[in-house]
Amino acid sequence: MFDRDTWQEIFNTLKKNKLRTFLTGFSVGWAIFILVMILASVNGMQNGFYSQFNDDATNSIFVRSGTTSKAYAGFEAGRRIQFKNDDLDYIEQSFPKDIEYISARYFTSVSARYGSETGSYSVQAVEPDHLYIEKTQMLSGRYINETDMVNKAKVAIIGRKVAEDLLKKEEPLGKFIEFNGLPFRVIGVFTDEGDANAERRIYAPISTFQRIYGNTNNVGGIALTYNPNYDLTEALEFSERLEILLKRRHKIAPEDQAGIGVWNYAQAFSDISSFTAVLNTIGIGVAFLILIAGIVGIGNIMVFTIKERTKEIGIRKALGAKPRQIVNLVILESVFITTISGFIGLMFASVILGAIGPTINTPAFTNPNVSSSVVITATIILIVAGVMAGFIPALKAAKVKPIVALTDK
Amino acid sequence: MIEIKDLHKSYKMGSNSLHVLKGLNFSIGEGELVAIMGSSGSGKSTLLNILGMLDEADSGEYTLDGVPIKNLNETKAAQYRNKFLGFIFQSFNLINYKNAAENVALPLYYQKVPRKERQEKALKYLDQVGLKEWAHHLPSELSGGQKQRVAIARAMAAEPKVLLADELTGALDSKTSYEIMDLIQTINDQGNTILVVTHEEDIAHMCKRIVHLKDGIIEKDEKVKQVRASAYV
Repeated sequence: MFDRDTWQEIFNTLKKNKLRTFLTGFSVGWAIFILVMILASVNGMQNGFYSQFNDDATNSIFVRSGTTSKAYAGFEAGRRIQFKNDDLDYIEQSFPKDIEYISARYFTSVSARYGSETGSYSVQAVEPDHLYIEKTQMLSGRYINETDMVNKAKVAIIGRKVAEDLLKKEEPLGKFIEFNGLPFRVIGVFTDEGDANAERRIYAPISTFQRIYGNTNNVGGIALTYNPNYDLTEALEFSERLEILLKRRHKIAPEDQAGIGVWNYAQAFSDISSFTAVLNTIGIGVAFLILIAGIVGIGNIMVFTIKERTKEIGIRKALGAKPRQIVNLVILESVFITTISGFIGLMFASVILGAIGPTINTPAFTNPNVSSSVVITATIILIVAGVMAGFIPALKAAKVKPIVALTDK
Repeated sequence: MIEIKDLHKSYKMGSNSLHVLKGLNFSIGEGELVAIMGSSGSGKSTLLNILGMLDEADSGEYTLDGVPIKNLNETKAAQYRNKFLGFIFQSFNLINYKNAAENVALPLYYQKVPRKERQEKALKYLDQVGLKEWAHHLPSELSGGQKQRVAIARAMAAEPKVLLADELTGALDSKTSYEIMDLIQTINDQGNTILVVTHEEDIAHMCKRIVHLKDGIIEKDEKVKQVRASAYV
């Protein structure tokens, strides 16, 4: 196959029909160009979706409470559901094997003051585990710990932007910032590379805020991560069990979607994955249909070439070429044309993506690129296409009788 | 070397059947130089096709170097052709984008001889036909006689049992024809079996034996006194 004589023959036929080879090769290159552009775009969309989520743990589940929309168990519709601390204890006790980290959350906003600087910030009052659920990146200091929780300590972890806005260039750790007039000691600073808005947040112990705001046990929402070894099915099954349990505990109709919302990353991921998989399939399908035109074109040109070379093939057979050797030669030639033109298409697509890809950066479309899987897919398609295109001409060539070598024109 | 018994061949032409070979019997021994003569329609091309395994007889036996040639599939026929036969054609049939040496090496390529050995052998046979210096020229740069010499070198390269030549001087002027026949005689003198199909009397008389075909039967099979071509060169 990798014989110099074989390649000499292939190059010779291609050289004799330069324009024909170019025109047919173009259709294949064009098809691959479109294929790669489509796949890269889908890839860009996928990247866009995932980058929206990537600052959270991918095995997290968020539970929020709402207002019931159906009457159930003697309660009227429109009842407000309120989670409390013991809901978390109950969940933890019910699913000891399923839960990795769990934290109550309570969202509020405060007006903060340090010296003469003031600003309005959102506060997430949480528990120590929340560090791992939100994947908070600490710049300095520490996160909330159990002692803070027990003592209901007035401590805060502030975002990098908060520190910049309020404290300017001062070292934030140990400084006291007033939240709605109450002094909180800064014990940590965090950052978020992906999202500048997240750096305008403040974390504080939930127990502290529960005491300050009415001495309640109220919890705004529950964030948790499940056992990271779970696959999608197990994850979905667990989030379903969790939902059933909480609905029963709060006497909400099982089909009532408004009372409690359980939002599972795994579900969102699988939705996006299947969505992009569908897009990928459509893309490959469309490109393949275009490619068929190219295959027919190459098959066509090769039937002609074989016809022109009938005599030569006859001579070869008279000299002892086996039908198989002739078939191999023709198919190899076809695979060669498709592969080369396909790779030129692939190269063009890569160059264009390389040039414009980084300039596109909307949330829904990030870094469209050609992954190795795209290259492998394209290569396989090209080889298959080449074999398909060469098949009929090859059979035609194999049928040439060596007797034509004797019939003199 | 070649043994033919009661060979029949007919072609279907619509509803009629054309009986071309009507029971041929002859044998050719090793080292013979035989001319098959006949006018067009005598069946000599059909006979050559059958001898060259390009066509198959309807009935009769054909044995080549002790091997019965019968019911060959294409692959087997290709193998036998490569092993037993060297073809020399009227129009040379060189491959125009391959140089002389590559053309000569082609049968060896189909024998899967390694590239280096192929090149060595090709040069050796080109030397035998006196064209060693032309090894790297394309057929378009050679004269008709030179092309036929390359073709002869190619036919010999695979070291076949029999050389089959079909009107090998048909496209050449008489001077070049005699040069080619001189070469054929030299090769025959070295012990090679050669079968020449021709309709030219003078060429036929440069062989050692002439088989006359007429209307599908052997009219005459005679040993002749060989005219040495070198006398005319």
